[in-house]
Formats: sequence, structure tokens, C-alpha cells
Amino acid sequence: MILLQSPSRYLLQILSTRVRNLEKGVELDCQWIEFDDVRYHIQASMKNPNLLVLSVSLPTPPPETVFFGGLPPEAIEAIKAAYGTVVHILDPPKDGFNLTVKLNLSKLPPDEEHRQELLGKIASIREVVQGAPLKSVLKQLVSRTVKSELNKLISLVHRPNESFFVVPQADKVTVVFPMRFKDSVDSILATSFLQEFVDARRTAGLGNAPHCLWSPSPPQELKGAPAEALLANAGFVSFVISPRHVEGRKLDRTVWSLSTFHAYVSYHVKCSEGFMHTRMRRRVESLIEALDRAKPDWKKVKKAVQTRSFKRLSINDGRATSNSRN
Amino acid sequence: MDDFNICIMIFRTSPELLLNPVLICRNEAEKCLIETSINSLRISLKVKQADELENILTKKFLRFLSMRAEAFQVLRRKPVQGYDISFLITNYHCEEMQKQKLIDFIVQFMEDIDKEISELKLSVNTRGRLVATEFLKQFI
Repeated sequence: MILLQSPSRYLLQILSTRVRNLEKGVELDCQWIEFDDVRYHIQASMKNPNLLVLSVSLPTPPPETVFFGGLPPEAIEAIKAAYGTVVHILDPPKDGFNLTVKLNLSKLPPDEEHRQELLGKIASIREVVQGAPLKSVLKQLVSRTVKSELNKLISLVHRPNESFFVVPQADKVTVVFPMRFKDSVDSILATSFLQEFVDARRTAGLGNAPHCLWSPSPPQELKGAPAEALLANAGFVSFVISPRHVEGRKLDRTVWSLSTFHAYVSYHVKCSEGFMHTRMRRRVESLIEALDRAKPDWKKVKKAVQTRSFKRLSINDGRATSNSRN
Repeated sequence: MDDFNICIMIFRTSPELLLNPVLICRNEAEKCLIETSINSLRISLKVKQADELENILTKKFLRFLSMRAEAFQVLRRKPVQGYDISFLITNYHCEEMQKQKLIDFIVQFMEDIDKEISELKLSVNTRGRLVATEFLKQFI
């Protein structure tokens, strides 16, 4: 899996199973956590198998980002627009969560295709809620109308205590990510990956992708930003989003890709480190084999391994054998 | 090692038993120091690190190897000051192992370090290119 998927697989599985076994509705009480500190809690009782209570907790916003009423701006409108009568927002949310909703499965569309689509959309609740302010800014790009102030720096939270920045303009939206990594090795690997974004964009076939830049120091778009936001050990990535990147179905995909950009890079940095570890271990094994060949009883050890088919000799066994000769 | 037969390279008790060291330099960033004594030999390498990425990959890999020094027998856990990795070969090693094969092993080790670091760097760049391309393709 190269790209991060928007519907939470676990949530989708719970919902699909519930819908398929509505008559056999069992008690349900699950909590789990996903990347970037997003927590979920789902509850259902046998009394009313059609009703589920879902709570979502979002990463803590940094000081420069404001959550009105505990949710990102325009999140409530986004939920109503995406889900209609199937989802009902409960106020106040469950203790420790930003949002609690009641899901009414009896209100799902009757035909299988639309039903599955809506379940997938519910499982993407993270994208709907967290991505609401970004979606609102990008929508203006499609309609070519600008509600928000032009060139104003908007900060949106994407990770605990960290935000990325959006600058809306009449014909484009610039999105800037300060890239930070706790581990210095991670930050050097990430820097190498991020520079590939700039190079990849220049290759043939990707000319229509958003223009992207990487710089070790804050770009001029961040001129009004608070000081803590201007420190990033893996530099700053900027994407320039044009109207063609947000038309039709591309809008939701663009919102998800940008909201989870940092997570995407971190995920691949970790995969890379895992792969390197496997390589290094294989190299060590081949070098130890080479060392074993230097031992005069190597052929004897090899023969012994072949005859005693169930006993595996280790390096220590080999050494013990040679010491006992002295 | 017993009382009468200590490793002269490490316990430099009798300076007259130490022989002249040999330093082979490809350039300032790549060199090999060979220090000899009558019963032991220490080879230290400084590996080329052209950029920050090669720097962390080299450190990661050499640390991985040094931590397994016991399994390698002729490898030291810590390199000599100013170098990235050190080998110590004593007369006991030469008794246990065939001299020519031991030399082959050291040479293969040195070649493998270079090979592994270039391949690690290539894997990072290849993955970076793939990650970037897949991400950008979504917007088209």
C-alpha cells in the first residue's frame, strides 16, 4: 500500500459487519487509535441494533490554530452535507472526544451500491471533519469566488501541536508544510525524499501536477506566521493547487492527500528504515559465511550440518570445536 | 590471552615491539591505517561520506556491524579515533584460520562496506522517487 487510504479500514469493517448482521445485533464497545493521534470510540447496544454512537478525537491544535466549539471551522456543516439524516451530531460530545455522532443504519439508502458508498464515506469521517476548512478554501477555487480574505495566512492542524499553512488567492491556493521529525536520521531521509518531489514533478507526464518546491528555510508565504511554526528540521514543502486539481471527484482526494501529507512521508521513511535493516542483516549473514570459510574445519562443519539434519550448528559451536583442538 | 602473551597492539607495554604504522590515503576523506606489532595487527578504515545521507547510512551500517563484533571475531566494537571502523587480528586468529582466507575475508569486508552503502543510498533515492510520483499522480 503506497498511498494512505481515506476510509478507516477498521471502522469500515465494523460498520459493514453490523449492517450485514442487523438482526443479530450484539453489544459493541470499541476504542482504537490511528496515525497522528486520532482516536475513535464506537458503541452499540442490543436494544436498538440500528443505532451506533461514534466518537472521534482529533489531534490537539497548536496555539496559532483555533478550534471553535472544539471542532475545526465549518466541520459541522461538512458533516451535515456529507451524511444527511444518517448521522446526527450529539451535543456535548463524549468526554475526551471532539465529536460524537449517532448513526442510524435504518436511514441508509436501500440499494447496495449507494449503501456501500455511504458506509465508506462514514468511515472517512476523519477526512470530512479534519479536512472541512481546507475543503472550504479549495471549493472557492472551483467556483472562482473568494469568501475568505485574499493572501491571508490560514493555519490548519494536521498532527498533534503542529499545523500547516494555506494561502488562498484568486486563481490558486498555496499550501506550505513545515516538515519536522523527532529523530535526526528520519529528518535526513525525509529531506532526501522531499527533494525527489521537486525532481519528480519535472519529469514528463507530471506536468499537470501541482507545482512543488522545497526549501530549508521558511518561504515568503510564511512571513506572518508565529516563530515556532518557522522551525522545521526537514525543510518546508510548498504545493501550488490550481482549479484543475480540485474539479469534481478530485476535490475530496486532494483534501485527503494534503491533510495527510506529513503522515505519508513519515510512513515511507519508516518503511525505508525497515527495509534497510533487513538488507544489513542479510549482508552480515553473508560476511559471517565468508569468515567461516577461513576456518580449516569449515568443510568438516559443513559435512556435519549435512549428516545431522536436525541439529543446526551455530558460530559458537564452530569456535568451540576449533578451541578444543589446541 | 594469558599473562605472558598479551596483545601488544592493545596493551602497548613494550614500545620496541611495535612496528611502523602504514597509512594509505585515497584522499583526505578515504584512508586506511595499518598498525603492526610482533603479535597483532590493527587495520582502521575511514569511509567516504559525500553528503548527509551517506553520512547517516555509513554510521548506521558500521554501527550495525560493530555491535556484532563478537560474531566477526576480527572486528573491534569501537573504531580508532578519527576512523569509522577497525579490525584487530592477533596471532591466535592466524592459528585458528587460514591466513590467505582471512585476508580474503578482510578485503571482501572492505568491498562490501562500499557496496552496501551505495545500494542503501540507491534504495532510498528509488523509494523517494516512487513515493513522490505516486503522490503527484493523484492530482492529474
